[in-house]
Amino acid sequence: MITCLHCLQALQPYIDRELSDEDIVQVQVHLEACGGCLHLYQFEASVRRLVKVRCQEQQAPNGLRARIEACLAAEQARREQRRPPITR
Amino acid sequence: MTNTEAAPARERFEQEALQHLDALYRTALRMTRNPSDAEDLVQDALVRAYRFYDRFEPGTNFRAWLFKILTNTYINSYRRKQGRPQESSLEDTEEFFLYNQVKSDAGDNVNDVEDTVLDRLGADEIQRAIDQLPPQFRTTVQLADVEGLSYAEVADATNVAKGTVMSRLFRGRRLLQRALWDQARAAGFTGGSKVHQDVDEFTSTPDGAALVGGARKSR
Repeated sequence: MITCLHCLQALQPYIDRELSDEDIVQVQVHLEACGGCLHLYQFEASVRRLVKVRCQEQQAPNGLRARIEACLAAEQARREQRRPPITR
Repeated sequence: MTNTEAAPARERFEQEALQHLDALYRTALRMTRNPSDAEDLVQDALVRAYRFYDRFEPGTNFRAWLFKILTNTYINSYRRKQGRPQESSLEDTEEFFLYNQVKSDAGDNVNDVEDTVLDRLGADEIQRAIDQLPPQFRTTVQLADVEGLSYAEVADATNVAKGTVMSRLFRGRRLLQRALWDQARAAGFTGGSKVHQDVDEFTSTPDGAALVGGARKSR
C-alpha cells in the first residue's frame, strides 16, 4: 500500500480526476484503510465543492446577452458588405 | 425543426457560444475585477471568437476554445490597461491550512465544510477570496475549480504547459485557503466566542433553553 505522504501528494489530482486508473485504485485502497487521510480527502473535496457551487451562482448581468447579439449582428453585416454572399 | 445547415453561421455561433455566457462573464470578472471591464472583455472576446469561428476545429472542445480567446483578449487589451499588477498581500501557507484551522476552531475532527464556519461564506466572500490571488493563480483556479476545465484545457486556455497548471493550482489553492479563512474571520464567523454567542441566542427561546439547560447543568 502507498504511504500517507504518497497518498496526500496524489490527493489534488485525485479530486481533479486527473490520475491514471492504476493510481486511482492505489489512492482508494489507502483511503479505505487510513482514517486520517480519508478525513483530509473528504474535507478538501468539500472545500472544492463549496467554492464551485457558490461561485457558479453568479450570472452575467441582464442586458449583456442582448448587447453581444447586437455586436455580432453588426459584425456579420460588416462582413457581408466586404464580401457579398455567393448567390446561386 | 429548423434546418441547422441552412441556418446562418452567426445563429449557430450564438447558440453555441452564448450558453457559456455566465461562465465567461464570471471568469472575465475575476481577471479584470471590475464589472464594466468584464462586460467589455466578454463582448470583445466573443466578437473575436465569431471572427475566427471558421478556424475552430470541430470535435475539439468549444468551451475551452472560448476560454482561450477570452484569456488572449484579456492579455492583449486589458492587462496593459490595468498597469502593473499589484502585489498580493496573501501570505503563503502550509498545505491543508483550512483543515487545520477549522479543526482547531471546532476542537474536533471535521470531514466536511458543511459542519463548519466556512459554510457561512457566501458567493461574494468566496469571490473576494479568489480576487486576492495573484493574477496567474487567480485565472488558473477560476478555470479549474469554478468552471471545471481539465489540466490540459487550462493549459491550452492560458498558454502554458500542463505542469505549470499543476503547480499554479497547487500554490493557488493553498493561497485561496488562506484567503477564505481571512474572509471568514473578517465576517466574524470564526473564533469560539462568536459561535457560542449564536448558540446562546438560539437557546434563549424557551424551548431551546429547556433543551440545553440540562446539558449546561451537567458541566
